Amino acid sequence: MAEIGRLVRAPQARPWLTSVTLLRTVIVLAALVGWQILAVSGLLYRDVVPPLPKVAAALVKLLSSVDFYWNLWFTIDEIAIGLVLGGLAGLVTGLVIGSNKFIAKAFEPYLYYIGPTPKIIFFPVMIMWFGAGAGSKIAMGAVSCFFPIALNVAAGMRQIDQVLIKVGESFRANPWQMATKIYLPAMRRPVINGLRLGLGVALIGTLLAETKISNRGLGFVVIDAYNTFNMPRLYAILIVLFVLAIGANALITRLGGLDEIKQK
Amino acid sequence: MPAAQAAASAILVVENIVMRFATAEGGLTAIDNVSFNVAPAEFLAVIGPSGCGKSTLFNIIGGLLGGYQGQVAVGGETVSGPHASIGMVFQEESTFPWRNVVDNIAFPLEIAGVPRRERIDRARRFVSMVGLDGFEQRYPSELSGGMRQRVSMARTLASEPKILLMDEPFASLDEQTRLLLGDKVLQIQQQLKQTTLLITHNITEAVQLADRILVMTYRPGQVKRIVDINLPRPRTSEVVSSEAFGRYVAQIWSDLREEASRGMIDDERRALHAGEHKA
Amino acid sequence: MSAAAVTARRWAPPLVGFGSLLLFLTAVEILIRVGAINRYIVPLPSEVAASFTRVILEEDILHRFLITAWECLAASLLLTVFGIGIGVAFHQVRLLRLACETWVAAMASAPLVLAYPLFLVLFGRSALTIIMMSFLVGLPPVILKTIEGLSATRRVLINVGRSFKLTSAQQFWKILLPSALPTIFVGIRLGLMFALINVVAVEFLINFGGLGQLINDLAERYDLPGVYAAICFVMLISVVFFVITERAERWLKSAG
Repeated sequence: MAEIGRLVRAPQARPWLTSVTLLRTVIVLAALVGWQILAVSGLLYRDVVPPLPKVAAALVKLLSSVDFYWNLWFTIDEIAIGLVLGGLAGLVTGLVIGSNKFIAKAFEPYLYYIGPTPKIIFFPVMIMWFGAGAGSKIAMGAVSCFFPIALNVAAGMRQIDQVLIKVGESFRANPWQMATKIYLPAMRRPVINGLRLGLGVALIGTLLAETKISNRGLGFVVIDAYNTFNMPRLYAILIVLFVLAIGANALITRLGGLDEIKQK
Repeated sequence: MPAAQAAASAILVVENIVMRFATAEGGLTAIDNVSFNVAPAEFLAVIGPSGCGKSTLFNIIGGLLGGYQGQVAVGGETVSGPHASIGMVFQEESTFPWRNVVDNIAFPLEIAGVPRRERIDRARRFVSMVGLDGFEQRYPSELSGGMRQRVSMARTLASEPKILLMDEPFASLDEQTRLLLGDKVLQIQQQLKQTTLLITHNITEAVQLADRILVMTYRPGQVKRIVDINLPRPRTSEVVSSEAFGRYVAQIWSDLREEASRGMIDDERRALHAGEHKA
Repeated sequence: MSAAAVTARRWAPPLVGFGSLLLFLTAVEILIRVGAINRYIVPLPSEVAASFTRVILEEDILHRFLITAWECLAASLLLTVFGIGIGVAFHQVRLLRLACETWVAAMASAPLVLAYPLFLVLFGRSALTIIMMSFLVGLPPVILKTIEGLSATRRVLINVGRSFKLTSAQQFWKILLPSALPTIFVGIRLGLMFALINVVAVEFLINFGGLGQLINDLAERYDLPGVYAAICFVMLISVVFFVITERAERWLKSAG
């Protein structure tokens, strides 16, 4: 955004912004029009790309049904518990690894390299351990978010400016004060970033698990719409899911972004 | 002043400090038998070339570094860890980026358990003292380097230490800011009658601020000479243009130059050695 | 420090790490054998190790691996070409970038893989579904890093180009692109990782393809040790892939 000042053209701050909005509107409109044309053209099998009014209707129907909120609550519940479990485990693990070089060298590679594997393949094992109910979904969420949180907390501990620790020591802060007034604030950006990534993968892990085996939750709503070939509903639930996921991500980024002003 | 008398009235007594480090090439003696005293309300500057162990000495006196021989005593008590009577100002950027100015300065009071209202009031005193009135709610990222160092200094002063220990706090600032901040430091020191120990490599700064200057040798660091600075008090930065000032600077430089040269030659030798290893 | 001490220093941590793992597995083995852990839920580690060879021989692992690999390759090619292409376009047309960059960033945080039922409808239960999904998932990082790399070209280098009166095209090919290459490669590496993860995940979910499908298969057959072995195998492959791309990136950084 700072590039605006470097433009060759004469700086016109206000109209510039409107051009952006204009372009965005044009793109969105073009996409919607293209969609509608494709939908009514008959090129594709019925409802693979449903007409916009049908999708809108399904969206309204979805959001006004009690069932949806019941499923939503169920999913949020699963994700939250998974996030808390995986998050705490990740926090503790990250703190231990970040504070000791030897332990880091011994164990962090495992976290680092297992991190980018598709966790959904663990799902059959989770089912065996925790059953086909909420337990296995929560476990999926927890396992998914453990890795990014642990790695980010460990990295966060290592990037703490050493002089800040010295300041704390020179004022003879006790361990609790050191932890709460120096370590945690100094680490908040990596920790929040880890949380953001953790939430993202916990969400995906839990929902995918729900699509595989479940009779409740938003993942179930997705697979149910697929199984009954209710395409408008499928598009509707996906739209809602995407909005929720992107919204949650933006929310956490905002919480971390507020600090952008305080810390350069 | 006879040694015994000096020791008796001194508030900081540093005795026979020897510090050795184990390194890849064997052992390294950073400081070899350094002793000196600092009297109450005195401003002592320790000057030396890079590699003379000044920062090591700083960390030892401040209680952040152990494993040395000898003893450090503050007001009669031996120092064996960070001491309530010693306040440290570090060379590096050390303000807490997540706290605003007044919360940064109130930090030592917060640690000591002073209730919020009282510690903010007390912190404000020091905000004024370093000339940052109006910046209480700002964050370090909004301030210049010099202002941030003032915050660090105010934070340490807020703990009202008997001895203020500073490690090249102005190293990262330009000359003019240094001189002006030096004025501020003099003003505060004279107002509070603060005993101060300043570690520096800057001769002008040392002569401008100090009552006595301790010149250290290159590694292993020893006391080469202690010079009394008899420039009048109260002092301002205008003193730098006086003749007496120039003479003191020349005197110190002639001592320091020898040590600094030894340091340079040593650096070059080591760089050559490292280069040969690579080839 | 002696040479022996240095060697010990270097190898001690990994050995401790590996040793702990072995210790843990031995403990699990013992606990299962004495009945403390249900062997129908957690198979004996020794059995899992034994089933490795069985899985490799009986389940046609090479064939499956190649399927997964070719799906990854196809997705990777697509995301590289389109990612860099779109990234360059965004960089050159400022308005486009200002309008759409945040959208691409949002797309990166969107749980695209959740839409797999939709892709099933659109492309059927086929390799195309897998490839399209992985392509889309791996696309945003490439686009974003391409833009980042190009716009982060040091001002002074651009000025050097201008002082030699280079045309726009020359400026792009000789200065901007080479300078952006390391960052672009970071983006490609991220894209490849996301693509690989997705390929295996979607194979598992839609029960089609190579390694991901194998796990699903073994799970449905209740071949417990087999499932564990297959999971280990997939993890191994992703680790190898990860290490290779890491090395490649480091080599590129030192060469460029």
